[in-house]
Amino acid sequence: MVSQQKGIPEFFNMDITASSEDSSLILIKQGAEARVFESTFVGRKCIVKERFSKKYRHPSLDSKLTLKRLNAEARCMTKARRLGVSTPVLFAVDPVRQMLTFEYVEGPSVKDIFLEFGLHGIVEEQLDDIAMQIGDAIGKLHDGGLIHGDLTTSNMLVRSSTNHLVLIDFGLSFTSTLPEDKAVDLYVLERALLSMHSSCGNVMDRILAAYRKSSKQWSSTLNKLAQVRQRGRKRTMVG
Amino acid sequence: MKVFEISNGSTLSLSLFTDVTNSKELLDSMQTGTLEPETAFLNASLIPDVFPLLAAAHKTLLAKSRESLTTRTLHSELVYNYSGSKHITESLKRCGISDSSNYVLAARFNASSDEMEAVGKLVNGKKIDLEELEGRANQAQMQKHYKISGLELGKSSLADAITCRIAARDAL
Repeated sequence: MVSQQKGIPEFFNMDITASSEDSSLILIKQGAEARVFESTFVGRKCIVKERFSKKYRHPSLDSKLTLKRLNAEARCMTKARRLGVSTPVLFAVDPVRQMLTFEYVEGPSVKDIFLEFGLHGIVEEQLDDIAMQIGDAIGKLHDGGLIHGDLTTSNMLVRSSTNHLVLIDFGLSFTSTLPEDKAVDLYVLERALLSMHSSCGNVMDRILAAYRKSSKQWSSTLNKLAQVRQRGRKRTMVG
Repeated sequence: MKVFEISNGSTLSLSLFTDVTNSKELLDSMQTGTLEPETAFLNASLIPDVFPLLAAAHKTLLAKSRESLTTRTLHSELVYNYSGSKHITESLKRCGISDSSNYVLAARFNASSDEMEAVGKLVNGKKIDLEELEGRANQAQMQKHYKISGLELGKSSLADAITCRIAARDAL
């Protein structure tokens, strides 16, 4: 823990003590937008995600943006559940301290599972099952007009008790029905798989096969995906 | 009676009653503010498990500590928060008790055992175990009230889905 905290730049470190008035908060991850803690919520193990303020922004703009993103994340998570995609149970939203409290999902991330495959050989059935669940979940989200925005294997967990896929981190999610947005969503995942898990073979093909079954609008999305592959995530705005 | 720790040493005590005959009286004394000790009475058929109620209690205590209650009392706030809706009157009607309620969950914050005893005397009904909540809850009514689709129930328990609605209300 000590060495982990050393890595945090001074200006982030300043208000760690100020915000963790509950002594039970244990820092487990620190990102650019938020800190993630482990804690307990009325008797259950939980994850607390705190969006901290950015000192370089004007205070009123900062609080507006942070609050907007906090609410958007809670909203998108609830929307994903309604569409039949597993997400952690939301326990509490605290707009004052800019914190979300979720259920602690027991289980490894898909990233850890795939890295394990890379080291000790692939378990075909498990890989198939996970790829199928990923494609199915993304298809459901996209058909419901929800774009996850940060589909990487570390944002997918497999619940140990049921082996069900759980999507986490809706911090970059938004609603859209455009094939462009859906294709970019898939493209981000494809790039992540290529760079992290090339030893697992072509997982993306299996995911897309499941996506095709799950999404009714698969054809326009996959056509777009072919275009996005040619040009990359960003659209060229020339001309 | 059962006591649950919510946060910073605050507790919520719960007692479940069936065959309640005096809900009209309870409602009247609650509305005139003469109910002693102050207690929240909830429509227990909308409660499949204690956890969503504890989440609502957590939210209530947080609002109290910031002096930002939406309703008049701490205990009516609990009922309002449990409803997962922003409509206060409708919330209190559906998730609180009505003239004809006979299945009721009584809840009080930081209650002494004497106070909970007093609550037990206020209610004319049969005290039953909290374990019975799940079996007695009205699934169709809950799904309708919280707008929970069958699709979601394929992936999650009803109690978890309700907890999400309670937590996300102000963000929606």
